[in-house]
Amino acid sequence: MSLRGLAWHRVAAVARKDAAELARNPGAIVPAVLMVFGSLIPAFLVVVGAPMIAGETLAGSGEFAEEAQAAVSTIPEIAHLTGNALIQAFLFHQFSLLQLLVPVVAAMALATHAVIGEKQSKALEPLLATPLTTVELLAAKTLTPLVFSVALSWGATLLYVVGMMLVAEPGVWQTILGPRSFLMFGVLGPLVALAALQISVIVSSRASDARSAQQLGSLVILPITIVFVAQLMGAYVIAPAALVMSALGCLMLNAMLLWVGVRVFERETILMRWK
Amino acid sequence: MPAALLVTEHLTRSFGARVAVRDLSLSVHAGEIVTMLGPNGAGKTTTMRMVAGLILPTSGRVVINQLHLTADNADEARRSIGLLTEAPGLWERLSVRMNLLTYARLQGLPNPAQQVDTALAQVGLSDRAHDLAGRLSKGLKQRVAIARALIHHPPVVLLDEPTSGLDPASARHVRDLILGLCRAGRAVLVSTHNLAEAEAISDRIAVLNTRLLALDTPAALRQGASGARVVIEVEGDASRWLATASVVAGAVGAADASRLTMNLPAAGAIPDVVAALVTAGARVVRVMPEQRSLEEVYLSLVGTGA
Repeated sequence: MSLRGLAWHRVAAVARKDAAELARNPGAIVPAVLMVFGSLIPAFLVVVGAPMIAGETLAGSGEFAEEAQAAVSTIPEIAHLTGNALIQAFLFHQFSLLQLLVPVVAAMALATHAVIGEKQSKALEPLLATPLTTVELLAAKTLTPLVFSVALSWGATLLYVVGMMLVAEPGVWQTILGPRSFLMFGVLGPLVALAALQISVIVSSRASDARSAQQLGSLVILPITIVFVAQLMGAYVIAPAALVMSALGCLMLNAMLLWVGVRVFERETILMRWK
Repeated sequence: MPAALLVTEHLTRSFGARVAVRDLSLSVHAGEIVTMLGPNGAGKTTTMRMVAGLILPTSGRVVINQLHLTADNADEARRSIGLLTEAPGLWERLSVRMNLLTYARLQGLPNPAQQVDTALAQVGLSDRAHDLAGRLSKGLKQRVAIARALIHHPPVVLLDEPTSGLDPASARHVRDLILGLCRAGRAVLVSTHNLAEAEAISDRIAVLNTRLLALDTPAALRQGASGARVVIEVEGDASRWLATASVVAGAVGAADASRLTMNLPAAGAIPDVVAALVTAGARVVRVMPEQRSLEEVYLSLVGTGA
């Protein structure tokens, strides 16, 4: 099977159908929407909430000052800032990694639903009885969740920036609009979402209900969480070069997952084993 | 005879060590309805799936509309096939119209919206186009599923248990639709457990139990393979003539008052039995050949334990 000869009108037909089903099933996007807030709240809690409760600024408490200063070489966008603004900008950059979880959670929630939902409603067999090829089906099942996940992730980033504009020191929010964030949200985010989607689809082909598929798929979250926690504990900063390397790694992972996914998505396997 | 639009030749399919379908050869011509009858696990759905190009046979071949179906051309062959699966499999959160529109787009039909209108009119559901599929009754869902199978005007139509679980009125409506397909020149292969339905709609019936046990018209099946039955009324007590009537090889009978009921190896043996009775001095009042029911024929073919 190859991607050549893919009939996009058929991919679009199924993707449109999935989008229409998604619009009628808001419950499916609840985990993704919750994740948006889950990714935003910690940053604002640490940068704004905690100092407010303590009654002193971050700079005044001496917290994170050294780490922020050390991060200037890795995040040149914050180099011109000083004092409290520098620490705030540093922390907002560190917490921005959490937003990579948004497309991952959204992709997993929607992909498992899209595939398992077809199984449960017994709609797969008539679908497979059309000229739709298995690669087209795989592409269609990936397209709608991918578009939605990336859109939601960018929406979360927009909220993040707007929040920074409202509560952070002057000059802080502009620092998030540099090449580092572009790499993270414009390149790595969609690639991580695509990997999560493909893993979810593969896992869904072996699971019988959405919950167990999501539980297995949630393993994708683990590496991102480990990097995030390690980043906070060790207070190191992910350099743009590391982001580029991660993106390349993700690209290779996606190519491998596509290879596996196409094999898992054999018509006969779907019909005989997907019960 | 019209062209055969669906042909299977020595079709066999195994799943591991289990053989689901063995050496099945049959054909369905344009304007013909062939019904597959068989117990659960007889291989009817597996046959449907092989014919629909969803799974490949282990050996043998399928020809759809002159195209020998292979792994490479199955996607193309499916354009000629309309498949009604055992469960309607509709997207229940979407409207009837959106369900059909998706299939019209998948089939690459020109002006899909108009094709949907035509398909809905064909199954009498034009007024339910905007209803959610999940809110329809089982009978209406089945009609939507039939419209979906027919939306691209396929010459070959495969219907797996089309009236299963439907109330009598809905089942009647679906049967009328199937007969309409036949009149429109489609080749229709139906799978069912419903013997009365099979007899009512079929041009030919294939009795299947992993392998093909019989394939013929309903009338020929009733008369044919497994012999004939005749009731002979004589004057006086029939039991004294039972031995005489049993002279024909393979004849088995019973006497009740003035009636002899004889099961014979073939309908052609009836004159022999009557001649033997007359020669022996019996006064024969009436000879009444009895036609076996399709149920009897079916059970004799597949076994009562089926």
